[in-house]
Amino acid sequence: MVSDLILMISRGIILGALLSAAPALAQSIAEKVEVCAGCHGQDGKPIDTALPIIWGQQAGYIYIQLRDFKRGDRKNEIMQPIVSSFEKDDMLAIAEYFAQKPWPNLGQPRSPKDVAQRALGAEHSVGCTGCHLEQFQGAGTTPRLAGQSQEYLAKTIADFRTRARGNNPGMSDLMRATSPDDLAALAEYLAGL
Amino acid sequence: MNRHSIACATLFGLGYTLAASSHAQEVPNPDQWTPPREAKISPVTQDQLNAADKDTTNFLLTNVNYAQTRFHPAKKINRDNVKNLHVAWIFQTEVKESLETSPIVVDGVMYVTTSFSHVYAIDAKTGEQLWHYNHKMGPVTTYCCGPNNRGVQVLGDKVYLATLDSKLVALNAKTGDVVWKTDIADPELGYSETMAPTVVKDKVLIGTNGGEYGIRGFVRAYDAKTGKLVWNFDTIPEKTVGVWATKDATGRDMHRDIQAEKDQLAKIGDPYQKLGGGVWQNPAVDLATNRIYFVVGNPSPDLDGSPRPGDNLYTDSLVSLDLDTGKMNCYFQYIAHDVWDLDAASPPVLVDVKDNSGKTIPGVIHAGKTGHIYVHDRKDCSLIRFSEAMVPQENMWTLPTKEGARMLPGANGGVEWSPIATDPGQDLAYAINLHQPMHYRVENSPYPNGKLWLGGAFTAIPGEKQSGNITAVNYNTGKIRWQVKTPEPMIGGILATAGGLVFAGEGNGKFAAYNSSTGKELWSFRAGAGVNAPPSSYMVGGKQYIVVGAGGNTQVNFRRGNNIIALTLD
Repeated sequence: MVSDLILMISRGIILGALLSAAPALAQSIAEKVEVCAGCHGQDGKPIDTALPIIWGQQAGYIYIQLRDFKRGDRKNEIMQPIVSSFEKDDMLAIAEYFAQKPWPNLGQPRSPKDVAQRALGAEHSVGCTGCHLEQFQGAGTTPRLAGQSQEYLAKTIADFRTRARGNNPGMSDLMRATSPDDLAALAEYLAGL
Repeated sequence: MNRHSIACATLFGLGYTLAASSHAQEVPNPDQWTPPREAKISPVTQDQLNAADKDTTNFLLTNVNYAQTRFHPAKKINRDNVKNLHVAWIFQTEVKESLETSPIVVDGVMYVTTSFSHVYAIDAKTGEQLWHYNHKMGPVTTYCCGPNNRGVQVLGDKVYLATLDSKLVALNAKTGDVVWKTDIADPELGYSETMAPTVVKDKVLIGTNGGEYGIRGFVRAYDAKTGKLVWNFDTIPEKTVGVWATKDATGRDMHRDIQAEKDQLAKIGDPYQKLGGGVWQNPAVDLATNRIYFVVGNPSPDLDGSPRPGDNLYTDSLVSLDLDTGKMNCYFQYIAHDVWDLDAASPPVLVDVKDNSGKTIPGVIHAGKTGHIYVHDRKDCSLIRFSEAMVPQENMWTLPTKEGARMLPGANGGVEWSPIATDPGQDLAYAINLHQPMHYRVENSPYPNGKLWLGGAFTAIPGEKQSGNITAVNYNTGKIRWQVKTPEPMIGGILATAGGLVFAGEGNGKFAAYNSSTGKELWSFRAGAGVNAPPSSYMVGGKQYIVVGAGGNTQVNFRRGNNIIALTLD
């Protein structure tokens, strides 16, 4: 219910931003990113824990997600209309803009030892750090996971497993090879880093 | 719209500029304390490179010489005195991430690289920094197994580097300034570079990564002076079907459903455009015949064969080309239609070998992820023999399943990208191996536009012990001469020297010297981070040094560091 309300508010904010922001080509990057704060937070902390932190996220990753929203490879009824008018240079500039912002601290607690051990066991089996790197900071088109919202991580993992999130089948394959309990531990562990 | 947005707009107004991202593993504001200094080297000539196998002073090529023997002729450090080996200096790079560099040494100047494609020129005697090239990385990088870089090569007055964002760069060897830069391929489609270029006869030879992303692989030659493309060889030809091989190079059945593949081929056509076939490591160059030899990696997607009917030529193959034209001379495929990612990554080595009649002929050997060393006739690439397995093999070739099928070796090998060494005087090849029991799972998904495309997952089996080994194989008999077991899987490389030694490091930070005839450990050192890079050897002022990177490894997740460690005797 709360999420629905947030969604409605977000849509209102976004619609307002879109209506006031035409024509797209004339927009500065500053104008283009105004809309983002409506959901992803004015201070980098998303207004809903089911939404991702994008401040301080890897630029390559943000760019690829914007590109995929535009292409329809990643489905999201809010994001797709926002990015529909963006060109590649816009998306790269927006990605760089957010990448330069400081990563916000959501204050999520360190996971208990047993959860951490389970998470690291799963990591060792799948090899998450092979892409997300040792401290789960990501690089290039691989996202930072450390300190990301636990709820968002859990939802994303679930969406990869069902292929509801379809823009990275390799991730889907890896998540499907891992048990839900292990993945829950991973989400909790990563959020607390 | 809100205060934050106004703040954002203000920030832009105050001069926001688009800048390349640095990475969390890179120290911000590097080089504040180190003004650049000139690296005083003489231009490296082709004659010098041709004679690198006899050059005790320098370390000119990634694998010592064009034959890639990794046998360095210096012998001041030997079996008798290696026990006294000690640290000469430690150089700390500004990047704490996987180190896979092969240090190159020219006239007392060392060139090393780090993850994210940094290059450092260092005084090889003192460890002082001369200059640092901090590559301005594009925002899009797509790569498997870590943001690695395996090194550079020098020819003339230029240092050649291939970068993670798939560019080829020539630097001024004295200053580190960019002389020219060329785009190799589009990183957004899954292409990246981690290998060191091989430079020969004014050509810069480079392959590509991307076998996990549905690329179409290649080896290319660029003009060393200008960066212009000279030739391109697609490692994936337009006809990839082959001969419908049902057995691997060792004669074992691979359980292919040939009829199902033929039906699929009739439906979808030849899958060559997204079939993978990366080339991870340097080609060997046969200067006498003007031919190069390299190995081609796995098909895309790794574990799901259904979108790619046929043998998937020339994946998992040894390939030989003419150096001047890039035209193929011969090939040999180890595993047709690979669905285990047990591909070919370790660089091939040119040595004289005995053929099956006992006659000595020019040969080429390659250590596979399967755990075998394969011995070929250099003339036509044909297989002469394969060695005993250096690692446990079980259930080969069980097909991957939805639930996960257990098979050994695991998908990292055997021998991964790690270069082997040889000692031609002993007919021995030295390889470092991984033992990682894995489950192989298959999933089906369409080509994902340059994203990770594994077609399943290979997962280490919880509770099953992993380990590694150093193995010496007689390539004229295929028999294992000696083997040293290590507590963790081994990745990084190995060096043999005329001092009767081999040097290799482990993920737990141990770096050791072994008697090359017996495998007896003669000396060791703890580096504090994974030693997962190939060692080099060189001499300055009459002293021999051994140098190695200790930066850990992304792929197997060994402890990271940022140290280049040089060792010598008093």
